Amino acid sequence: MATVTVQPETPTAPSQTHDVYRRRRILEWVAVHSLAVGLALLFVLPFVFIALTALMSDQQSLTRDLWPQPFAWHNLVDVWHTPGFPTWWRNTLVYAVAGTALTLLSSLPVAYALAYFRFRGRNVAMMVVIATMMLPPQVSIIPLYLVWAQDFHLTGTLWPLIIPLAFGDAFTIFLLRQFMLTVPRAYLEAAKIDGCGDFRTMVRVVIPMIKPAIAAVGLFQFFYCWNDYFGPQIYASENPGAWTLSYGLQSFKSAHHTDWNLTMAATVLVMAPVIILFFFAQKAFIEGVTLTGVKG
Amino acid sequence: MTHRLIRRRVAGTAVTAALALALTSCFGSSKGGASDNPDADVTITFWHGWSAPSEVKAIQATIDAFEKANPNIHVKAVGNITDDKINQALRAGGPSAPDVVSSFTTDNVGEFCNSHAFVDLAPFLSKSGIDPEKTFPGPQLSYTQYNGNQCALPLLSDAYGLYYNKDAFKAAGISAPPKTMSELDADAVKLTKASGDGYSQIGFMPDYHFYESTITHFGAQWAPTYFDAEGKSTVATDPAINSAMAWQKSLLDQLGGYDKLDKFRTSAGEEFSNNNAFMTGQVAMMIDGEWRAGMIDDSNSKVDYGVAPFPVPDDQAAQYGKGYITGTIVGIASTSEKQNAAWEFVKYLTTDTDAVVNFANAIHNVPSTIAALASPRVSQDPNFQQFIKIASDPNSTTTPASPNGGDYQLVLQNLGYDYQSGKQTDLQSGLDDAAHQIDTNLAQVQ
Amino acid sequence: MTVTATPGSTSRSTARSARKARQRRLRRRERLTTLAFLSPWLLGTGLFFLYPLATTAYLSFTRYDGFLSPTWNGLDNWRFVFQDYPFFWPAMRNTLWFVVVLVTLRIIAGLALGMLVIHVKRGSTTLRTVFYAPFLAPPVAATLAFVFLLNPGTGPVNTILGHIGVTAPSWFNDPSWSKPALSLLALWGVGDLMVIFMAALLDVPRELYEASALDGAGAVNRFRHVTLPHLRPILLFAVITGVIATMQYYTEPIVAGQVASGQIAGSGNQFEPGYPGGSTLTLPQLVYNLGFQRFNIGAACVIAMVLFVLSMVFAAFLMRRGSGFLAGEDL
Repeated sequence: MATVTVQPETPTAPSQTHDVYRRRRILEWVAVHSLAVGLALLFVLPFVFIALTALMSDQQSLTRDLWPQPFAWHNLVDVWHTPGFPTWWRNTLVYAVAGTALTLLSSLPVAYALAYFRFRGRNVAMMVVIATMMLPPQVSIIPLYLVWAQDFHLTGTLWPLIIPLAFGDAFTIFLLRQFMLTVPRAYLEAAKIDGCGDFRTMVRVVIPMIKPAIAAVGLFQFFYCWNDYFGPQIYASENPGAWTLSYGLQSFKSAHHTDWNLTMAATVLVMAPVIILFFFAQKAFIEGVTLTGVKG
Repeated sequence: MTHRLIRRRVAGTAVTAALALALTSCFGSSKGGASDNPDADVTITFWHGWSAPSEVKAIQATIDAFEKANPNIHVKAVGNITDDKINQALRAGGPSAPDVVSSFTTDNVGEFCNSHAFVDLAPFLSKSGIDPEKTFPGPQLSYTQYNGNQCALPLLSDAYGLYYNKDAFKAAGISAPPKTMSELDADAVKLTKASGDGYSQIGFMPDYHFYESTITHFGAQWAPTYFDAEGKSTVATDPAINSAMAWQKSLLDQLGGYDKLDKFRTSAGEEFSNNNAFMTGQVAMMIDGEWRAGMIDDSNSKVDYGVAPFPVPDDQAAQYGKGYITGTIVGIASTSEKQNAAWEFVKYLTTDTDAVVNFANAIHNVPSTIAALASPRVSQDPNFQQFIKIASDPNSTTTPASPNGGDYQLVLQNLGYDYQSGKQTDLQSGLDDAAHQIDTNLAQVQ
Repeated sequence: MTVTATPGSTSRSTARSARKARQRRLRRRERLTTLAFLSPWLLGTGLFFLYPLATTAYLSFTRYDGFLSPTWNGLDNWRFVFQDYPFFWPAMRNTLWFVVVLVTLRIIAGLALGMLVIHVKRGSTTLRTVFYAPFLAPPVAATLAFVFLLNPGTGPVNTILGHIGVTAPSWFNDPSWSKPALSLLALWGVGDLMVIFMAALLDVPRELYEASALDGAGAVNRFRHVTLPHLRPILLFAVITGVIATMQYYTEPIVAGQVASGQIAGSGNQFEPGYPGGSTLTLPQLVYNLGFQRFNIGAACVIAMVLFVLSMVFAAFLMRRGSGFLAGEDL
């Protein structure tokens, strides 16, 4: 290698420096791009294999073959017609939609109060919010389950999961509060001067200003409910009519006579709607995640 | 300004505390009763674990026959129920809780009896003039009761035996199924063909993770006691379990070692699918229950299979013909308010000879009453009759009930996993620890 | 005390007391409004946080199987769980392993991927989509998929590794590889962290980098002295949310264990927690197993209390670290 020392302040041989610089930049470009492409392939590969296996016959799914021969498209139909699959879909949708709506409705006022009201014990309240945020659900599940089961007889339904969301969700409250703090005080004061009470101010002034944040926490809550496995396992497992997709999918595999090809086909049907939704709402998704991460 | 807020907060905390105390005293499920009129028109809910279409059809046929004989009692059946759901429903009680419950596992009978989640059926039996000891075989009676409380009855039984691939036997020059453990070992080795770093055929799969190859199923052949008269675990002192585990490990090593065999196991087909490794011809001998025969017949498997009792230890050769017995159990939930009507149904299911025989034939299970076992209407299929003989063998055993369910079996099972994988090398010390653990767990729930 | 009556003083004192009364009324309205706004959360906290916590604590000192009434048995359950229960300490170690390893790996990976995607000018949107999409896969589905993909005998991963000539491990069936396998699954879903880091990285003003480069700082030093300080709040957020999620790590390990072991409900085998060999057992799984499958609610509540204490310790530690950023601007 030529021993050319390049000093930034005194470029002695301009063409040589330029060449070395350009070569380094090209190498960098190649390295970065090949790394990116390689990693991207790695990330996509699981999806590819899942899809391929979903289309295999059950015997072929047990072999080391990587390519289905022939393509068993009917697997997807078979899975959809498994008793209960559409029910699981519907239950999951109901849980996620109702849960998200209730969470937002009940958390907004609380976040508002914690952001703008001055009262003794506000710091304690914030600490309690954070404490409950960090609480694993397993800590409180047993007494709650006993109450729902023995006193209200609501096990075998999704109500024990939906009803508590009408009382606010700590994570949502926390994030909404952080966002509300970024609303310039001038707006709030103007509203007060106009004679708006707190409720009006919240609805007319603050909420419209933090719409992206509301969308983001709404999405978070939606996904939390959609992906919830522990909750439905505890409360809904005794009644197949109340199962959600996550619990149904898990039981799909442990039920008798279910092979990998059908399980993977079911996985495809469970993953696909979410991924498709993502492709169409990409901007909203990523903006939402970014906002909460940066501001939270 | 702050006093009022403080006062309000104190009040709030007090309310919460009071609520907590009030609700804490509200534990324990509602109690039902046997005061209902069995002749009144009523609907009872029956939970069972069957899910395959043929089985569901069979249980429905039994229900239909019962409803015809008892037009005032309607049975609403819910299938595909696992033990988790049963536990939860029995704890919750309420209007959606079942009246009659059946379960595939006998493990929880001890807990159900002890906690009175199931009612004691003795008064019902005597009211109907049924002597359980004359009606049901010994093992079936023993796994449906605990500590003198007969809180369940057997609803068809399972007997375990040896399935073998006749073609593979012919190809390896074996003329008859093995009768003793050493014969089993020898045949298994002869029938195992390596292929690459795997196998194209395995003679027998002793891996505890494989299908029905469990320590309790194997151990039955050595006549274990599991618990002594005081309820303490005997696994450390009883030579039965020790010999069973030692045998399993030695066979595992003879066939290629744990790693190779377990790798095969992870790529084997599902136990209850058409790709069951025996049904595809990959495994030449297998321990399984009587239901497997029906499954092979109903599938498109090309295996020419035979059935025989599972081999016995060399020093117990005279007891050849025995096997492990278990079965489905059925009981009445104590939260049920229609216990008399429920009893009529349970009585029919478990003791009506025609019902038992028809159901047994339909789902290829072993009948669970002495009368039904002897009935000529039981399927005379030679393979099925083989299992009838195993079930009627006086030396056949089962796993005893225990107040914390299958916990002792779990402890043994985990020891088995550790021992077969080489994580535990000293079998006796492992058994000592297991016995100690079982006793501690039991003491904790007394 | 004598009040010197001066002309006009009575009207002033009346005005003062009227003002005070008005202030009191206003403050009372304020308090009522505060209470009204906070009421759903107050009720919720009482019903779904304080009550269960108190009851769980109480039940941990009782013998309770869910059928008969609870009977007090003092420290028996605690002694049992800490000394005689063979699954407790492995579960504790596993939970802590996951918290430390998963959170660290995910943050490093998210940051690295974020920096990588930023450097790629063309096609960065596609890249971002590709890296983010797996995060959306429902956990049960993703776990099932990975158990299949990493199947030691017939899975595609081992098949390909075999072609290259690498002896592949048994992943979810090998006690030493099951946690790394779960880590791979967690890394596959690192997209959400990547996106957050990307936004934060792009937020760093370019002038700072340029100034630092002029000062002669190499890439590593620029990263340490410009990038990292700017990322501190985001990193803290990632650590907090990561620790919260991993303390509750339940779905992926339990589904992976059940599926990889081939257990079927109702067959001859007992449910084996933490297959293989207890290596995927986490504390939340024990709560479910003891409380809902083994009739031992007392012991389950002990473990629930342990989980609670651990979470609160982490919460306190992280709150102290991030106290400034968490309190937000105080009004």
